Amino acid sequence: MSSSVQAALPQSKPAARGFLRRLWDAIGMSLLALVTAFLLGGLVIWITSGSFDTVVQAYAGLFRGAFVKERGLTETLVASVPYILLSLGVAVGFKSGLFNIGVEGQFYIGAVAAAWVGQAVQGVPAIISLPLAIGAGALGGAIWAAIPGYLKARFGVHEVINTIMMNYIAFRFAEYVVSGPLRDKLASAPQTPRISPAAELWTFAAVPKRLEDPLNAFAVALIAAFITWLIMRWVVGRPSMQKRIAGKSQRRAVLLGVSAFVGMIVFVGLPVLTRTWWPFTDQYDRLHTGLILAIFAAVAVWWLFAKTTLGFSLRMVGANPNAARYAGVNITRNIVTAMAMSGALAGIAGTIEILGVSICRCLPLFFSSGYGFDSIAIALLAKNNPFGIIAGSFLFGAMRNGADLMELNSGVSKYIISLIQALVLLFVAAPGVVRWMYRIKSERRPEEEAPLTRGWGG
Amino acid sequence: MTLALQATGITKRFPGVLANDHINFDLEKGEIHALLGENGAGKSTLMNILYGLYQPDEGQISINGQPTHITSPHDAIAQGIGMVHQHFMLIPPLTVAENIMLGQESIIEATRALKSVSVLDRRSVSKRIRELSQQYGLAVDPDAYVRDLAVGEQQRVEIVKALYRSADILILDEPTAVLTPQEADDLFVIMRKLIGQGKSIVFITHKLREVFAVSNRISVMRSGQMVGSIKPAEATSEMLAEMMVGRKVILSIDKEEAHPQEPVLHVENLRVMDDRRHMAVDGVSLEVRAGEILGIAGVQGNGQTELAEALTGLRRATDGQVTILGKDTTHATPRQVTSAGTAHIPEDRQKHGLVLSFSVRDNLVLCSYYQSPFAGRIEMNWPVIEQQAEELVHMYDVHTPSIRTNVGSLSGGNQQKVIAARELARPIKFLLANQPTRGLDVGSIEFIHRRIVEARDNGCAVLLISAELDEIMSLSDRIAVMYKGHILETLEAQAATREQLGLLMAGVKEDLHV
Amino acid sequence: MSTTTKSLNSGRRVHWRGTWWITAIFTAVGLFAVWALLNLIIGGECQGECVIDTLAQTLRIATPIALAAFCGVMCERSGVVDIGIEGKMLMAAMVAYAVNLFVFQSLKTTMDPATAGIVSRWIALAAALVSALILAALHAVVSIKFRADQIISGTVINILALGITGFLYRQYLAENLPAGPGTFPIWKIPVLSDIPIIGRILFQQQPLTYIMLILVFVIHYVLFYTPWGLRTRAVGEHPRAADTLGINVFKMRYANVWLGGLIAGLGGAWFTLEAVDVFNPGMTNGLGFIGLAAMIFGKWTPFGALAGALIFGLGNSITSTVSIFRPDIPSQLPQMLPYILTMIVLTGVVGRAVPPAADGQAYEKQ
Repeated sequence: MSSSVQAALPQSKPAARGFLRRLWDAIGMSLLALVTAFLLGGLVIWITSGSFDTVVQAYAGLFRGAFVKERGLTETLVASVPYILLSLGVAVGFKSGLFNIGVEGQFYIGAVAAAWVGQAVQGVPAIISLPLAIGAGALGGAIWAAIPGYLKARFGVHEVINTIMMNYIAFRFAEYVVSGPLRDKLASAPQTPRISPAAELWTFAAVPKRLEDPLNAFAVALIAAFITWLIMRWVVGRPSMQKRIAGKSQRRAVLLGVSAFVGMIVFVGLPVLTRTWWPFTDQYDRLHTGLILAIFAAVAVWWLFAKTTLGFSLRMVGANPNAARYAGVNITRNIVTAMAMSGALAGIAGTIEILGVSICRCLPLFFSSGYGFDSIAIALLAKNNPFGIIAGSFLFGAMRNGADLMELNSGVSKYIISLIQALVLLFVAAPGVVRWMYRIKSERRPEEEAPLTRGWGG
Repeated sequence: MTLALQATGITKRFPGVLANDHINFDLEKGEIHALLGENGAGKSTLMNILYGLYQPDEGQISINGQPTHITSPHDAIAQGIGMVHQHFMLIPPLTVAENIMLGQESIIEATRALKSVSVLDRRSVSKRIRELSQQYGLAVDPDAYVRDLAVGEQQRVEIVKALYRSADILILDEPTAVLTPQEADDLFVIMRKLIGQGKSIVFITHKLREVFAVSNRISVMRSGQMVGSIKPAEATSEMLAEMMVGRKVILSIDKEEAHPQEPVLHVENLRVMDDRRHMAVDGVSLEVRAGEILGIAGVQGNGQTELAEALTGLRRATDGQVTILGKDTTHATPRQVTSAGTAHIPEDRQKHGLVLSFSVRDNLVLCSYYQSPFAGRIEMNWPVIEQQAEELVHMYDVHTPSIRTNVGSLSGGNQQKVIAARELARPIKFLLANQPTRGLDVGSIEFIHRRIVEARDNGCAVLLISAELDEIMSLSDRIAVMYKGHILETLEAQAATREQLGLLMAGVKEDLHV
Repeated sequence: MSTTTKSLNSGRRVHWRGTWWITAIFTAVGLFAVWALLNLIIGGECQGECVIDTLAQTLRIATPIALAAFCGVMCERSGVVDIGIEGKMLMAAMVAYAVNLFVFQSLKTTMDPATAGIVSRWIALAAALVSALILAALHAVVSIKFRADQIISGTVINILALGITGFLYRQYLAENLPAGPGTFPIWKIPVLSDIPIIGRILFQQQPLTYIMLILVFVIHYVLFYTPWGLRTRAVGEHPRAADTLGINVFKMRYANVWLGGLIAGLGGAWFTLEAVDVFNPGMTNGLGFIGLAAMIFGKWTPFGALAGALIFGLGNSITSTVSIFRPDIPSQLPQMLPYILTMIVLTGVVGRAVPPAADGQAYEKQ
């Protein structure tokens, strides 16, 4: 930009702009993208079916299937869990300037790892086997993503091609594992053996029964104590509390004390409580605690980028790697870390599929997901904001879930959903298209997204 | 006498600024008309309008007495206007001939029917280039690849490119920015030859000295307005500077005597390779003591960039040794160099110095975000960071609506102030300032200069690298001239003269030719 | 091979004599390596015939990879990154199959099956080109006019193609279908195909392979010897400079992306008009991306891209030969090989391969 134009750029408008205006800035374009995609989808249905009624029936069926019908909401929530985790993975990549299209492959690897560990830990109590299986999935996904990450950092090979290659390798690898070394000899179809019941992901309906085991209760109590500790850290850090509780040892005492107290109450009280009153009946036996894990992951990602030094350096690398080098940031380490975290999230998603969602609690041969590309759309739609990702994932989960009823009711093929999702991605990627459609004037602003297309040579 | 070019009432508005405010500008046939003004005055905008890159909001343009519109660069070329941009419009992987014929390619007649996929006639183009080269004394090799050419040669290619298209009016935008004083003199010879052959030249610069050397008329612009025109014989540097800035300008900074103390930076026989595997720094030894400013003069491209990168850990040194306060930092990482007490104002502030999409607050802790008190082991301490940011913005007079504003929307001067604030606000022993005032307005230049001298007076060792000889001469206590990777000579600043330095910058050392 | 590619880097002033010698030597060494490798794995059963078949198969499978790479070269030389080649090829494959079938069925009533087959195949090819062109035009508009991130825009193309082909497949093509007219027959070039060894490999191929081989020379000529090519390269390296000389940057980019789309259409048609006579969802299996790798390997030149495609094709054909002779090795393991090979090759090449300077950057007139 020539210096005269530089001097001419307006200073940003004052911060106090009104809540509605800021809301529009944040989500306006995304909403428009969604609405437009649905409109165009409706148009396609109208054209291919010939009648407007079909469009109404289709969208009505979609809505009913997603929320209204029996178990509709449950299935929608179940379908949104992998979307949340995969989109978080993609978002972590984007914020660090990396395009991780390999979430699909990392998802597979996570599933393979979980299937293997899950069936290998027969007889081990849940307090060990469940975290172990999840950890294995996370580790598998992390390694699967770290390899292209390292190749990018060290050799400059663009991660798009490498992660896509890793995807295909992952598909073949999964097929190999299921048909060969890990094949269940007793089953007729090619699949892995059923995982140990202790390694299964808890469903909400099964919580009271699970809590009967004191080890499990203990684990839940630990988790409750940890969450309490996090909350207390925030509370104690507030200025008003700073005055009351001075001194490091005093603070530590308060934190530990409160956390331990809460932990004990949970340990003793929760099993009793759930046995007497627990809202999740068998009707919800598909809704699993992976949902909590996914939401926790979203909070963790938010915390990573808003509060930590690692998050700061990742954002720097994503926004301007040259400046990051100059500022002393180790680019290689940051890129590999970002990819590893991204892959870990995708791996956990795959783990949850096996441990909590699959009917056979195993990995079958024809294990296809197609979640990968959709999560790119969700991450972009939510502008990499973890809470937006939860909302977007819920929406996409609803679409995926409701598509069956839509097809049943109106005869419109499920694949129209893919078309709508592709359109969403198109409109989110090119906001100019939406602006052009609706004749919205755009403000010239310095780029806020980390530019992905920096060419092939690193 | 017909005016080769006449522009009246030219007005151009950009969002938020009036870049050209009813400008009147004319060019007589066969004259060199210098257009003077500081960065941001609007000279480039005016020239871009004349070259068809922008359309004026108001105003009229006439060429050779005929009113006309210039709708695009293509149109400008067709009407006989050629422009040599400050940042060359040359394509490095192509040859000189290919660059020159681009857009009006000569094709082999026999294949004309194939239209855009006919065969290029390289031979006839080369022939024509050689003819022009002879005629105007501009030595260029049509078959050389542009990426292999030196900067001065590239500039000649740009001029030939304009002449190849029969330009009668030539606009030269800051042509001497990348030349040694001697090369600039060569350019002036070429310019005189060109007008001798009937061309007319507009010569844009911000260097006062040059306008006296070669122009027939000087026009000064300031803040989008034409302040006045004057003949060189009737003008003085002070007068022109005052016209440029609008107030009395002290052309050289007031500084006290230096009191150098212990050596801080010691460089021994440093060798550094550039990206193309050439030895950019070839055996450089120097020493900077606390409380002194060592200025490295030299035209860009003689290894200064690589030297700065090696000293700050951004590039591996092939050989040699660098010590800062006794600590060996030859192969240190940037972070280690910083912890040794170094501050670095980089050459390219937008590429290396700032993250444009981050806020002012974030940029101020770009290098120190992980250190206490800005962060604990894992988490960052935003309240402390913001408090310090507010203080720094106030101290360094950074014009920004808030510390949360994106630094990309600040002006160049304010951006540089952010970098200066970040680097100079911590306890440092060694400051490396690389082209610290490039592209800045006079006010910001003064500010940065004062800060650098202040750092020196606080006991810092300062290494100043700059292509602006004036800056080097006014700030440095000692001056080292760098040429093709060597330090040719180091002089006391008070004793050095422009002529001396100019010769050294061109590689001419008294007893031997390099 | 790398020396050859390096000397072809600038594309001009190629010293043809030297290059041919080097190519000949490398080819000979390569052939020997192939023979040795095959025998190592298979254990002596693969002799002359088998090696020749493998090499012929190499050229066959290199065809879609090379065509994908050529599409990439055209687009990227003008400055537009094109990830969506896979999607374009997939779409073209499906359209080719469907049109082939449909036209054949309708023509069968009026002509004899053989002629109907010939006509339907070529019409199908044209339809495939059009379908790829449509996707390419979409990518062009989104990237050039709306200045979207080009990698995301390419990804959109891929997703769209997956969605549309999946949808249409499920809707119309999955059920029992009447037999189609089959794939393109092998065209034996008279005289040349009788040359021992080389004749079998080079001159007994299907038409798309010959088209691909001709395209190498055509693209090389256009890029490096014509005004079109000069302007394209200028626009891809320094669009502003080209703009100041009156070249319409947008027009050049649109044109090149469209042409690239047509070439990708050829590549996609290969799957259903030359390789097999059916369409399966996702049948392109990443060959579009391998084509991108070949483009990078070839430093954005057509001959280099062909070399890269041949290398990846070699990996593929060795894999399938090995699978035939050693059924005890589970098929998925060698199937991973092409992708691993791609990653390895890219790692070695990328540092030295410089893309066009303005690749991936949307151009804005000031």
